Amino acid sequence: MYGKGLRPLSIATVAMLAVSLSLVFFYAPLDADQGFIQKIFYLHVPLAIVALIGFVVGGVFAIAHLRTGNRKWDAYSYVSIHMSVIFGVAVLITGAIWAKASWGHWWVWDEPTLVSFLIVFLMYATYYPFRYAIEDPERQARYASVFAITAGAFVPLNFMAVRMAQSLVHPRTFATANGGLPGEMMLVFLCSLATMALLWVTLVKFELTAKSASGQVKRLRRALDAPAPGGSSRIAPEVS
Amino acid sequence: MFDLLAAAPALPLDEAGKYVAGAFIVFMVLLVVYVAIMAAKLQRIERELRELASFAESRASSEKAAPGRESETPSISDSLASHGSRGGGAV
Repeated sequence: MYGKGLRPLSIATVAMLAVSLSLVFFYAPLDADQGFIQKIFYLHVPLAIVALIGFVVGGVFAIAHLRTGNRKWDAYSYVSIHMSVIFGVAVLITGAIWAKASWGHWWVWDEPTLVSFLIVFLMYATYYPFRYAIEDPERQARYASVFAITAGAFVPLNFMAVRMAQSLVHPRTFATANGGLPGEMMLVFLCSLATMALLWVTLVKFELTAKSASGQVKRLRRALDAPAPGGSSRIAPEVS
Repeated sequence: MFDLLAAAPALPLDEAGKYVAGAFIVFMVLLVVYVAIMAAKLQRIERELRELASFAESRASSEKAAPGRESETPSISDSLASHGSRGGGAV
């Protein structure tokens, strides 16, 4: 069920990745201030935006779970958050590389954008032990949903707080009415953003398909009067 | 696309190049590692399915050979143990 349409989605994602990388390196003009190092912007910023939106999407799925009681939404919420945490790792590493190249330091503690993203990332990193600590699957799903909603509401609040902070060093992508980017750069940026969003959707679908297949195998094992396999996970919810 | 590539300037190999390459390589490595982990999971699922299918087939054939002797039907844990499986949980 979840695997339906995965192949065309995967092909579209790979094609978009190739187009985006080509545009980044062969079409986008060099930045007058930062020069070639600014190319990281087309990777780092879309990853960060998609990761943050993914956290909020996880919260929205959690609301659907609490409203309906359907465990499917809990699985969607878990996978959304899981994928956004992976994207978050990429954001932190690429950001550190960019910071080292631009500012001469891997990390700057008095920069609100960096520290706020780290806080959001660490908050979501606690999602896994939080889930794992609860034995009962129903309670686990319910508590995880409450966590996802609370943390998901914190993400836009955090974003607005950072925007209001007066930063001196971190660039603002959409600082002016027209985005603060020339047309060609904006086109490449939007293409990169669409690519990262597509990649996120594809990987979420991929993960859900794998979880669904794993759930079906467990159901089959139970139907054949078999004991549960030793590798069953208490963290990840099952999708049937 | 080919016109675009033909008109593209050469990549500058200055100090910035290694940082840009590093950032994009990190992204690609993360992607490949994730896909590799998922591939391992899918292999495990495939192996479990194969074990379950062979167990179901052996049980069906033993029931056909000796009807009314369900008590002698092997349990799946026996079947899996005879195949040297670790319960299907390990990768």
